[in-house]
Amino acid sequence: MCTPSIRQRHPHRVCVIGGGGSGAALAYDLSLRGFLVTLFEKGELTSGTTGRHHGQLHSGARYAVGDRDIARECMEETLVLRRIVPDAIEYNGGVFIATDDAEADYAPAFIAACNEAGIPAREVPIAEARSWEPAITPTARRTVWVPDGSFDAFRVPLSFFAAARRLGATIRPFTEVVSIDVTAGTARSVTVRRAGSDHDERVDCDYIVSATGAWAGIVGAMAGFDVPVTPAPGTMVAVRGRVTDMVLSRLAPPGDGDIIVPQRGLSIIGTTQRVVDNPDGILPDDDDVAFLLRRADELAPGFSARAVHAIWAAARPLAGASTGDGREISRDFMVLDHPGMATLIGGKATVLRAMAEKAADHVCGVFCVNEPCRTRDFILPTWRDWYTEAL
Amino acid sequence: MSSGSKSASSVPLLVRVRNGDAFAEYRLDAEPQRTVLDILEMLRSCGEAVPAYRHSCHHGSCGTCGAIINGVEALMCLTTVASLASPRPRLPGGPAVEPERDGRGAFVVSLEPLAKMAVISGIAVSPGAALAGIPLDAAYLGSVPDDGRSPLPPEPPAARVESAVWRPAGRRPAGRVRFEACIECGLCVSACPVAVPFIGPAALAAINREREKRPERAAAMRALAAAPDGVGPCGRHLACSRVCPQAVYPGKHIQLLRTALAQADTAGR
Ligand SMILES: Cc1cc2nc3c(=O)[nH]c(=O)nc-3n(C[C@H](O)[C@H](O)[C@H](O)COP(=O)(O)OP(=O)(O)OC[C@H]3O[C@@H](n4cnc5c(N)ncnc54)[C@H](O)[C@@H]3O)c2cc1C
Ligand code: SF4
Ligand code: FES
Repeated sequence: MCTPSIRQRHPHRVCVIGGGGSGAALAYDLSLRGFLVTLFEKGELTSGTTGRHHGQLHSGARYAVGDRDIARECMEETLVLRRIVPDAIEYNGGVFIATDDAEADYAPAFIAACNEAGIPAREVPIAEARSWEPAITPTARRTVWVPDGSFDAFRVPLSFFAAARRLGATIRPFTEVVSIDVTAGTARSVTVRRAGSDHDERVDCDYIVSATGAWAGIVGAMAGFDVPVTPAPGTMVAVRGRVTDMVLSRLAPPGDGDIIVPQRGLSIIGTTQRVVDNPDGILPDDDDVAFLLRRADELAPGFSARAVHAIWAAARPLAGASTGDGREISRDFMVLDHPGMATLIGGKATVLRAMAEKAADHVCGVFCVNEPCRTRDFILPTWRDWYTEAL
Repeated sequence: MSSGSKSASSVPLLVRVRNGDAFAEYRLDAEPQRTVLDILEMLRSCGEAVPAYRHSCHHGSCGTCGAIINGVEALMCLTTVASLASPRPRLPGGPAVEPERDGRGAFVVSLEPLAKMAVISGIAVSPGAALAGIPLDAAYLGSVPDDGRSPLPPEPPAARVESAVWRPAGRRPAGRVRFEACIECGLCVSACPVAVPFIGPAALAAINREREKRPERAAAMRALAAAPDGVGPCGRHLACSRVCPQAVYPGKHIQLLRTALAQADTAGR
């Protein structure tokens, strides 16, 4: 795993809109495949959904019963990320806990689904799980070990940005795309505005990828495309101190308030889900807090007695239009093909690299470029590398 | 405007955000549990032109949202309206004094960019210069003691990452791990009154941790500390330790480095 080099340069200029995890990984992947990449982010990098997520490096166990393919992809990507951004991951494993009979009955189907998806989940005696983490509720009915972990929601993407910049990508935070010119199926330019400036700047390009998450509908509309996306915020509550080092989850189909993610000096319970129209200015729902703390106590009694450190919310970029609370929409990601432009949407932060691979494959297809994806192969520079050049 | 439902406990605020030579000013009522960052986000989503600011995690982990809030460095995402409406110091380590209110009774919240860093726009800064002294490869993961718990179970083969390939020598501790407390927010650097070339408290704290964690690098770390811009310029003002949101106590690390230098000096004689 040494420093990557570009094998062949291609003259195509690709504008990536959105500096979250997806945009970060895409800027790196496209640069590695030889494209000329410019990325625009309207605020600080990862100031959309990415920086605010729950921080769980998903082994995929949570999704296994519902969708083996998503689960398998999560497992593969956790192994890749642990190799290529080792320093920004707290890998301590996780435990799924059945708190009642119905949850205990779910265990066999859960373990079988995980194993089918390549996730080496295994049931362990409750006493053994509690010997690793005594904070696990003594009333646990069954416990299952899974290869979950935590990651730094900000620093993993920042490492991708640093890698992209080293390969020549131009990364422009605090620069908002205000209009898009796609004429007769060909991308021509984007018009951007720097924070604090009144002047618009036109940047010519040959292709555009919108990686704008919950904002993808708004950005798609700039080019006249209908991009169905449902911003679905969830609340998280961080308490001080580490209740456990392992990630704790409820052994049940995905629901609200069923995961405790330890991270640095905090333990974080999440999350909830509602749908909104405007992805900007998402605030936590105050009613969620008592609910989340109560749910956390069911996994780890005493959680709610700790001092609350922060309460915040982030909007999931669910790909599709919702008629209800958004739960019917798949958690998979997709590349939507518009003439001259594509939208990369959905997914999870854990699979940011895989999302970028699929979108970069799509761009290669558009330009008939035959370059394989190589982003699995190199350890990324540290996020500190990002700060070594002034903006 | 108000934040969500305007309750009886809403606090009237006059928020002043530095924008070059001027301040952009906003009046609003906010609930006590809202943070300064929540307020800027609310204003922005309501269509107000808010000067640029940095943010990412909203829970004190990424280190991007530092600002000088009414004279003291703090993270905007952890500073609540309730705390701004209560007695607070106006200088790092100063006595808590009644908060300033304007003629209309609103609590004044003034936001300035961190010092010693290049301003991008508004109160958004580029922290590069302040963090440059942190060794690029300083370990970010630390070990967590088992504390009477059983060691974590070994990873099954399907969850194992080949260590020879991905673990740069000694980089990742074995067993339970967690991130360092320091979130590289630069508040300590901004608050530090030292005005001569100085690597700064964040870097010295990182250098000391690295010295403690990796004995094989101790000499190299001591050399960084002994350089002219190392521990020498520190005047023991302790502003760094007072503003640090993570209780890293950079001042303590600087003292430990001084002790280590003195011991190495004695041993070498
Ligand atoms: C509550 C919650 C918890 C979650 N927990 C986890 C978890 O534990 N683990 C996990 O793996 N995933 C988790 N996720 C999912 C994960 O956070 C998202 O899938 C992922 O961050 C989406 O990244 P993105 O880059 O696609 O979108 P974003 O991070 O939202 O990036 C889009 C960017 O586009 C920018 N933008 C928008 N419009 C413009 C414009 N006009 N010009 C320039 N820039 C623009 C925005 O500012 C934004 O930064 C969670 C999500 C939520 C909501
Ligand atoms: S030592 Fe404290 S104040 Fe300084 S950068 Fe680290 S966390 Fe921030
Ligand atoms: S937004 Fe991350 S520390 Fe405040």
